[in-house]
Amino acid sequence: MADLQLDDVTKVFVEDDGNEITAVDEVSLAIDDGEFLVLVGPSGCGKSTTLRMVAGLETVSDGAIRLGGSVINDAKPAERDIAMVFQSYALYPHMTVRENMSFGLEESTSMPDDEIASTVEDAATMLGIDDLLERKPDDLSGGQQQRVALGRAIVRDPEVFLLDEPLSNLDAKLRAQMRTELQRLQEDLGVATIYVTHDQTEAMTMADKIAILNDGQLQQVGTPLECYHEPANLFVASFIGEPSMNFFDVSRDGETLVHDDFTYELTSAVASELGDHDELVLGIRPEDIELRSTQDDTHSYETFVDVVEPMGNENNVYLTFDADSTETFVATIDGLNHVEDGQSVIAHVPEDAIHIFDRASGSALRNRTLDTQAMPEPQL
Amino acid sequence: MDSLRNSIKRLNPLSASDSDFLESMPFWLPATALVLLFVYGAIGWNVIISFTGWSGLGQPDYTNFTLEMYRQMPSDPDFMASLRNTIALLVAFTGVSLVVGLGLALLVDRKIRFESTFRTIYLLPMALSFVVTAIFWSWMYASNGLINTTLSGLGLGWLAHDWLGDPRFKLAAVIFALVWQFSGYCMIVYLAGLRSIPNDHYEAARIDGASTLTLYRRIIIPQLRSSTVGATVVLMVFALKAFDFIYVMFGTNPGRSVDILAVTMYREAFSSSEWAYGAAIAVVLFALALTIIGPYAYTQYKRGAL
Repeated sequence: MADLQLDDVTKVFVEDDGNEITAVDEVSLAIDDGEFLVLVGPSGCGKSTTLRMVAGLETVSDGAIRLGGSVINDAKPAERDIAMVFQSYALYPHMTVRENMSFGLEESTSMPDDEIASTVEDAATMLGIDDLLERKPDDLSGGQQQRVALGRAIVRDPEVFLLDEPLSNLDAKLRAQMRTELQRLQEDLGVATIYVTHDQTEAMTMADKIAILNDGQLQQVGTPLECYHEPANLFVASFIGEPSMNFFDVSRDGETLVHDDFTYELTSAVASELGDHDELVLGIRPEDIELRSTQDDTHSYETFVDVVEPMGNENNVYLTFDADSTETFVATIDGLNHVEDGQSVIAHVPEDAIHIFDRASGSALRNRTLDTQAMPEPQL
Repeated sequence: MDSLRNSIKRLNPLSASDSDFLESMPFWLPATALVLLFVYGAIGWNVIISFTGWSGLGQPDYTNFTLEMYRQMPSDPDFMASLRNTIALLVAFTGVSLVVGLGLALLVDRKIRFESTFRTIYLLPMALSFVVTAIFWSWMYASNGLINTTLSGLGLGWLAHDWLGDPRFKLAAVIFALVWQFSGYCMIVYLAGLRSIPNDHYEAARIDGASTLTLYRRIIIPQLRSSTVGATVVLMVFALKAFDFIYVMFGTNPGRSVDILAVTMYREAFSSSEWAYGAAIAVVLFALALTIIGPYAYTQYKRGAL
């Protein structure tokens, strides 16, 4: 019974000159047993502070943190049944890997020495670092240190794992590898996990649930696909996805969206979802823009290719409405489709893929329609 | 030009470094020659003198070298007393200074108010010369000095002593004064060590369930090892050089209870004109300093820090 709940948790820092800074503003979250929650947001958004409040490293200014039903606001970090992995790993440099991993058990449990030794060895074997147990952290590579830091958390057998940007010090290749490994490990252990990152790729690929924070406020909580396809507001839409969603400031004229460079006709069904909002933002994911050679429909526009970024599997094509303009928007097309800089193409913006936001509040008025399909089981 | 020179160096490292050596000679040779002559030359000459029987007026006899001076040391009660005192001073002064310095550093590191003021206050004595602090402490320790006056004022008159006259307290009084002067230095060294320990370690230890005592005993203090070694070497060398402090406080004949090798050396050579014996004591002192510095320098060299 390890569901962790944050109810209107707030953190206010008071500066020396008496100024109050609200780092975390009434954040409410619930993490079920075995769930992998990723807290994501730009730097300074309060995600680490939230995690540190759960860990007990920061006091909670207001609200309640509950673990398994009981409030743990004032419990010491060691009493919370949590384990944390730090961004810097925080391995004790004067201790061997074995000592690093056993320290927490020695200090917080009355486990006998031989049991500690076997617990540490089991965790080390699981992480593939059993031959490094007598080494010091300085003798290990970044990836190995990362595993030791994980091992130190695992041996505690906690109710909740807290991971603070644990992969950000690794190189890109190792990061991708550790990402899958962490996911597999978390599934095997079945321990509720809060994972803090600023990297939306990590959030998308690892999470059961993503919580997106900005300026201390929770923007949206949902599965990765919900956050991607049904963003609650402009911030989420722009933060999740790489390259990020294209936005056009538009005004509404009946059932037409008017932009400086184009007009976009809405069907009455879509227009009716917009209520009485007139100043809007039209959003479209780069991969939903289709590049064509003929202008055969109202949602197609003549554009010019400004820059092409070939990624191999796909090309990011930066387009402008005007050959001389520097205001670009991006379309992602198949890597084998060849387009040249300066070429003119027809960009098709399908209506079922557009997002419409209220410009003043940023909240989503309409999200794209989804038609997800499950992969059929092969008939063998 | 530089890149050309570098690429030549890569192609033929030997000749390039040879020419660097020759080209740079005018810059380093004069200073090096002076140091060789007046530092290492003087040390060498001192060693040679210690093998002669030179005493009184007249010239040393360089034809007949003996180990007589070294042989008579163990039977010389003055020498043995000062050797004992030197080692006692070395150990007690270094140990107590480190402990006091570490304590101060841990306190100052606790994000206190006026931290830099405290740092300056503790470090200030270090900036004073031994001569100044010796005079200052002679006043403090005098029979009607600040310490005794304060003690009697507090009704603790029975604790007042003739600190600098009573052989039981002389060495302790000197050690206390030196600790006062140097614990601030230890504090700074430890503070730098403490500041280099990332905050994450404190937090990780808290999550691991370590009490404050365990945190310091098992996580923080073990990480101050290199600070301790560095400070120890410096303190020990200062302890060997405490000559000026004792000389100013007591003169050339401080008595056996507080005599140290440096003072004995000076007295033998310049008061008694036992030049060869004084030189031999200097060699012993030099050997002591080497045994302190040597291992440190060697490990630093091994780690590539020199």
